[in-house]
Amino acid sequence: MLGKLDRRVLLRAVAVFLVVAVAITVALSTGGSADAATGSAASGGGSSLLLQNLFNGIVFGLLLALASVGLSLIYGTTALSNFAHGEMVTFGAMITYFLATPQAVTFPLLPFEFKINMPFLPAVLVGIAIAVFFGWVQDKMIWSQLRRRRVGMVQQMIVSIGLSLALVNFIQWWMGGRPVRLTTSIDPRHQYGPISVGNVTLISMAIAIIALIGVAFFLQRTRLGRATRAVSDNPALASASGIKVDSIIRIVWMMAAGLAALGGILLALYQQGIGFDDGTKLLMMMFAAVTLGGLGHPYGALVGSLIIGIVAEVSTVWLAPDLKFATALFILIIVLLVRPQGILGRAERVG
Amino acid sequence: MDILIQVLTTAIAPSTAAFALAAIGLNFHFGLTGLLNMGHAGFMLLGMYGFAISLREGWPIWLAVLVGLAAAALFALLLGWPTLKLRGDYLAIVTIAAAEMVRFLGRSQSLAELTGASTGIRGSDFKAPFEELSPFADSMVEIGPFAMHGTRSSSWWLTLVTWGLVGVFALVFWRLSKSPWGRVLKGIREDEDAVRSLGKNVYSYKMQALVIGGVIGALAGMLWAIGNSVQPDAMGRPTTFWIWTLLLLGGAATVFGPVLGAILFWSGLTLIKALASAFIPSDVLAPTSLEPFSLVLVGVALMFLVVFRPQGVLGNKKELAFNG
Amino acid sequence: MADTAFETVAHEPGAAKPDAILVADGVVRRFGGLTAVNVDHFEVQRNTITALIGPNGAGKSTFFNLLTGFDMAQEGSGVFNGKPLRGMPAAKVARAGMVRTFQLTKALSGMTVIENMRLGAQEQPGENLARAFAPPLWRAREREITEQAHDLLHRFKLYEKRDDYAGSLSGGQRKLLEMARALMSKPTMVMLDEPMAGVNPALTESLLDHIVELKEDGMTVLFVEHDMHMVRRISDWVVVMAEGQIIAEGPAGTVMSNPRVQDAYLGSHHDTDLFEERDA
Repeated sequence: MLGKLDRRVLLRAVAVFLVVAVAITVALSTGGSADAATGSAASGGGSSLLLQNLFNGIVFGLLLALASVGLSLIYGTTALSNFAHGEMVTFGAMITYFLATPQAVTFPLLPFEFKINMPFLPAVLVGIAIAVFFGWVQDKMIWSQLRRRRVGMVQQMIVSIGLSLALVNFIQWWMGGRPVRLTTSIDPRHQYGPISVGNVTLISMAIAIIALIGVAFFLQRTRLGRATRAVSDNPALASASGIKVDSIIRIVWMMAAGLAALGGILLALYQQGIGFDDGTKLLMMMFAAVTLGGLGHPYGALVGSLIIGIVAEVSTVWLAPDLKFATALFILIIVLLVRPQGILGRAERVG
Repeated sequence: MDILIQVLTTAIAPSTAAFALAAIGLNFHFGLTGLLNMGHAGFMLLGMYGFAISLREGWPIWLAVLVGLAAAALFALLLGWPTLKLRGDYLAIVTIAAAEMVRFLGRSQSLAELTGASTGIRGSDFKAPFEELSPFADSMVEIGPFAMHGTRSSSWWLTLVTWGLVGVFALVFWRLSKSPWGRVLKGIREDEDAVRSLGKNVYSYKMQALVIGGVIGALAGMLWAIGNSVQPDAMGRPTTFWIWTLLLLGGAATVFGPVLGAILFWSGLTLIKALASAFIPSDVLAPTSLEPFSLVLVGVALMFLVVFRPQGVLGNKKELAFNG
Repeated sequence: MADTAFETVAHEPGAAKPDAILVADGVVRRFGGLTAVNVDHFEVQRNTITALIGPNGAGKSTFFNLLTGFDMAQEGSGVFNGKPLRGMPAAKVARAGMVRTFQLTKALSGMTVIENMRLGAQEQPGENLARAFAPPLWRAREREITEQAHDLLHRFKLYEKRDDYAGSLSGGQRKLLEMARALMSKPTMVMLDEPMAGVNPALTESLLDHIVELKEDGMTVLFVEHDMHMVRRISDWVVVMAEGQIIAEGPAGTVMSNPRVQDAYLGSHHDTDLFEERDA
């Protein structure tokens, strides 16, 4: 009955790490053209490249955090792993494009086209408002109904998978398979020491930081935010102490949808375009970030996102750029093995 | 009439059989044991890589099959070893992450010589040894209303082999699920602590189920690749989700659920596309929109299915595979 | 109903027993900064019914989990029937002859009553993957198991329900099924975690009789219970825990008048007290 549980888990994780690392190294060395990515990068002036990638990682991590904070809040308050959250990111960017583009647009199944052509900033605000409304509709029409019917968590997770399939394909149907650009203006770049950065990126970073501070302020300082944390800690207790759990969850859904939309818009600006499945692809990174930081822990999502962003970008110094997501997922798996509750999460008490 | 033949052709197609087989594998995981494997496409992809790369290097076909199966078995052991002692959703996150990792690695330029990067491995590089075994004519063969090549790619030969294997593994599933071994797995699905309290080594049983299901998935991947080609992006998350959808549609934990589910799913998709292109004018629904349109319906169908009829067509409502 | 075996045993925490089947020493379990269990010494006399009581949060369930291998202690050791429990996983503890039930019943709802019972049996060769393919290797044992299950189901008055799904049984019937299923492995010691919780009063008497029968059949019983009526009725010996430690031991009558015990119950700010009949 005396166990060396922790050490055993650690040993296991190290063993998996070694096996996979050896396998990848062998594959890379037999697979050939590895020098395409590694050789040139390493010779191209080590530390400045590292700094640039570190910076890119922080930018990506901040944008990722906007998306994953909502995912984490939803998990915290409802225990749902929402697989349809990636589409909320794409949706925010797409609806903004839909409002702002000077091109003719339409809806699926509508036989005519029309132009909206709003100025960019109002389009962003209206886009986010529509996304928030979509979050409200989703919870009202789907999730609150499932909670009321006491549908199991695994079933709800599969419902979110179905919703994700439906939404990503709807967006493709609506916007087509090619990426769209929110703005066509050219972004002037500045050089700060070894780091080169565009105006838009700087503004995006500032907006992301302000939004994240806003979330933190909401959670720490407002009554509603404290109630949200209470629900996250213990829904039954929160409900018993007079908090309207369902209204809190409704607000969390709206917030999550709005933050995801903002993240999507900033991402579209940062990478100069967004495709119908960019959010879907990002979902794995969001899960990685949220799990890494500690499932359901709102600040965990922030910490996890920054780590994932930095790991993904900095890994390109040594590995091929198309392996950066693989590297991030690999780190996730290893961390999960050593510390399943995540970096900020508490170990659960059993029995 | 054309539409009917199109639908029936899909129903008997080797790809449909390959999906049925993959779903039988997932049925060992989810239907029998309750394991949330969200990376089944990763097992399929590993199987097809092992198989196709071995054949391309000139190894005999039986060895190539073994390499594919061994790769999947190893993958299952590696994933299960650390996660099967943790809460169920950790397996879901780790399997989906690991499957995506396999795909990212496979499509990476760094491994291009081994895996062919994002273009994958062309059929002509590995299909010959399988096609040489064909007893059918090396030309188009018509049987009833169906016309398929006798030997090449998605052929009558492949149809025979895939459906044959579906039959064999449906039988294996039936035998095992009705045995005391299957009883232990069902117990784990219902409540693993209870089974542990009855003296069964839960971890070992879950591992056995994970390996068996994964290996069957890998075999399905090989068969799918023979009918198509090795394509990492065809084995992404959507593929896993389709397998889940068709398993739930047919009925998890049943012998014929995966088979019926695969047939209904793929012929249903064909039917929707055929009807839509026949009856909806193309200025309302462009031909390029047919695919996303029908997949929107798949997503919506999955949502309704899992809420209103989680036992699927063949399942038993009382023996629900959903817990917690 | 005192047992003669306890005549020589001191009424003090950690008292030594003449023929202990289960012994635990220095068991410590911490969760973060909180010490949930800290038991210096604990013995259970063979072929008796011992009750483990204490206010909510006393660490009874955690201690139970530690003894049965469902949780791991940071420190300590234990011996069951001559076998060291150190590092032994739950399944192995059960195979060694110490079978438990759960506070929240774990009837396997998606399986029939008879399948639940069969699962409880040991030494079924068909539970091995390779042999599962060949029914002749396990059919004979399956028939024996089924017969044994039928006997137990008759005894627990569940025989008529044998082909129903366990999910369709009432709360009390599930408790009975869980106990019957545990007996399928022919254990030497049965650990019952709140056997009365959620049981309809009409079934209480028969459940009590079943527990007394276990002792008559030669088994040892250790149970956690809130229902003091039940503790008085059937236990030979009572062990009281509070704040993770054993604070008193003795027969039901004397232990409840112990001032330390009364303090523990009154001092713990919650709604259970010693003289309450049932704690939901």
